[in-house]
Amino acid sequence: MECAVQPADLRPIPRGTLRTAVQEQLLPGDTLQAKWDIAQESGYDAIELRARGDFHFTARLDELRQAREDGVVMPTVCVDMPHFFGAFDEDQRRDAIAQLKAQLTVIAELGGLGVQTPAAFGMFSRRLPPFEPPRTEQEDREILLTGLTELGEHARAEGVTLFLEPLNRYEDHMVNRLDQAADLIRATGMDCIRIGIDSYHMNIEESDPVAAILAHADLIGHAQVSDSNRLQPGAGHLDWPAWLSALHTIGYDGHLVAECRLTGDPIEAVRSIPAFLQRSGA
Amino acid sequence: MRGLLDRPAPTASAALTLRRGAARVLLDNWTGTSTVPSRTLYPHQWSWDSAFIAIGLRHLSARRAQRELESLLAGQWADGRLPHIVFNPALPPDAYFPSPDFWQSSRAGRTAGAPSTPETSGIVQPPVHALAAWLVHRADPAESRRRGFLARAYPRLVAWHDYLLTRRDLGGGGLAAVVHPWEPGMDNSPCWDGPLQRVDPAAPDAYHRADLNHGNPADRPTDLDYGRYVRLAADYRDAEYDDHAARHRFAVEDPCFNALLIVSESALANMAGELGRSGAPHTARAAELTRRLVSRLWDDTSGLFRVRDLATDALVDERSVTGLVPLAVPHLSRDVVKRLHETLDGPHFRAPATHLIPSYDVTGHAFDPHRYWRGPAWFNTAWLIHRGLRTHGLTAQAERLRQGFLAEAGRSDFAEYVDPVTGGGRGARRFSWTAALTLDLLCI
Repeated sequence: MECAVQPADLRPIPRGTLRTAVQEQLLPGDTLQAKWDIAQESGYDAIELRARGDFHFTARLDELRQAREDGVVMPTVCVDMPHFFGAFDEDQRRDAIAQLKAQLTVIAELGGLGVQTPAAFGMFSRRLPPFEPPRTEQEDREILLTGLTELGEHARAEGVTLFLEPLNRYEDHMVNRLDQAADLIRATGMDCIRIGIDSYHMNIEESDPVAAILAHADLIGHAQVSDSNRLQPGAGHLDWPAWLSALHTIGYDGHLVAECRLTGDPIEAVRSIPAFLQRSGA
Repeated sequence: MRGLLDRPAPTASAALTLRRGAARVLLDNWTGTSTVPSRTLYPHQWSWDSAFIAIGLRHLSARRAQRELESLLAGQWADGRLPHIVFNPALPPDAYFPSPDFWQSSRAGRTAGAPSTPETSGIVQPPVHALAAWLVHRADPAESRRRGFLARAYPRLVAWHDYLLTRRDLGGGGLAAVVHPWEPGMDNSPCWDGPLQRVDPAAPDAYHRADLNHGNPADRPTDLDYGRYVRLAADYRDAEYDDHAARHRFAVEDPCFNALLIVSESALANMAGELGRSGAPHTARAAELTRRLVSRLWDDTSGLFRVRDLATDALVDERSVTGLVPLAVPHLSRDVVKRLHETLDGPHFRAPATHLIPSYDVTGHAFDPHRYWRGPAWFNTAWLIHRGLRTHGLTAQAERLRQGFLAEAGRSDFAEYVDPVTGGGRGARRFSWTAALTLDLLCI
């Protein structure tokens, strides 16, 4: 006797589909146009740019304008710099803010949405020696609020958004969880600063990544995806259906941006991501 | 407790689409290892709730759906019983009554094999778990195999059914009996009124009802009923939950309970096949149970299944939705299916303001459109009857029921149950199994 399991039990639920994007360095090709061809063939809806320091991103403006005219969709940019707006060193901090302002201006010029940055990356970890950072928590907070306010005013003037990304405890000591980013953003009172979430960091830091998404639904503006091991989605053990369901339920309408390392054949790995996310409920 | 029960939900579910709203309820009601039926009214893990929840949760996360069932199975007793509540140890004792202090499972249930932890109740609920486990497996077989889900769940589910068909065959007729009105899941159904007359209620000052802290008294069982529930549970506890030693002043064979046992036994056959074992013993047992269900509980005159009171060995003269749920049993005779279909469409169960099926005969003497299982229409019984209609090829009526279900679930903000006269939602809102089964019916 067969249990009365009907085929309908297995059909996927109709749902709105979240769009996917991939960071430019993961795509093969010498030009953004060539990368975009491969991105589209793989099922992506957009490319996320990367912005190095020394005003390199501004120097790319002609290249980026041409790419936009050729139809490349590039709504966001993620910083790729050696220092950040939360740096201990005053000169580095000022430079990071100057770079970010320039990047906000360029992405606005391109008609994009905004720039994603952490408070810092690789500067200090409370989990590694010497364990105690040179600034107090209160000093960190003041530095971050000062930087965010200056950047937020610039973003507002340009009509774009700054996405603050919490990183895991080994990469940054100041903003590790969504609630910490939300607290800073609320303190600025600026709606042109939002949280840029990253599934990999959330997996390490949030006791329940799904609950964190729901709790900070009103502030989430951007989402980057990589699996539990920083590899492409599908190569680790994250509960993707649950994570993506949470984004659906809060009405998230941005992209899921692949920012990851790749295992296996790199082109096949990049090509696998949109289909994997779709199968997982994106 | 406030942190768990009253956590703010930043986005109102009513403002989202039905699917998003249903998903939101399940994500909000997730506690880390399982789902509470309601943040306000039911703060622990309930047995048949978790099974229905897993059936919907599998569409959000196969892994969470598996964990939902695994955390329930972790509360299983050595005698095979699956307790109707697995208590959350993080909550204070007064979060719900009867509390762990009342059931005393780890002490009073020690001989019967209750785990030392977690604390549980000592009674059971309808065995819909194997069906849920099979559906959860089918939603993502690769993830299920990777986690060894079926291999771990199957022997526990077999032990659960063995418990019901040995220690709970109190009537000797080969069906499972229930020994408390909470066990069939329809707590205050008029079907129990007669058998309960034999029970002296516990004194009102001997306990405090936690269900009235958040629930409207007009929607809940009466104090007199509640006193009897407490008496029965206390007596069972004092007999150390020994089914043979206990003097059961309440013992009935319930159609819904046994129908779900049959459907779940069939699911065990499928699981056995998946695990490389023979499913034949389960198939044979399901067939035998189906014969017994019909021979012991079918009432051909009224065209539905009846409850059998084991104290009098007579069928209880009440029409309840429990008598229609056996439509979900796959191998019923064509005549029984036809009669059930007619009863479903007839005057006793057609309600003016809902497509769902009222829990009790709308023309019956005890009909009360507000009070829990004495009239209100519930979403889980509608889901089971929908499944039955499809199983027997009654697709047009199944589709009407499905459309009504989805509309009423959304309109009522996933209410616990619906007033069949006005169509208004009653009981808890954002109720987990209503949301879960909504997600499931959106698949079809």
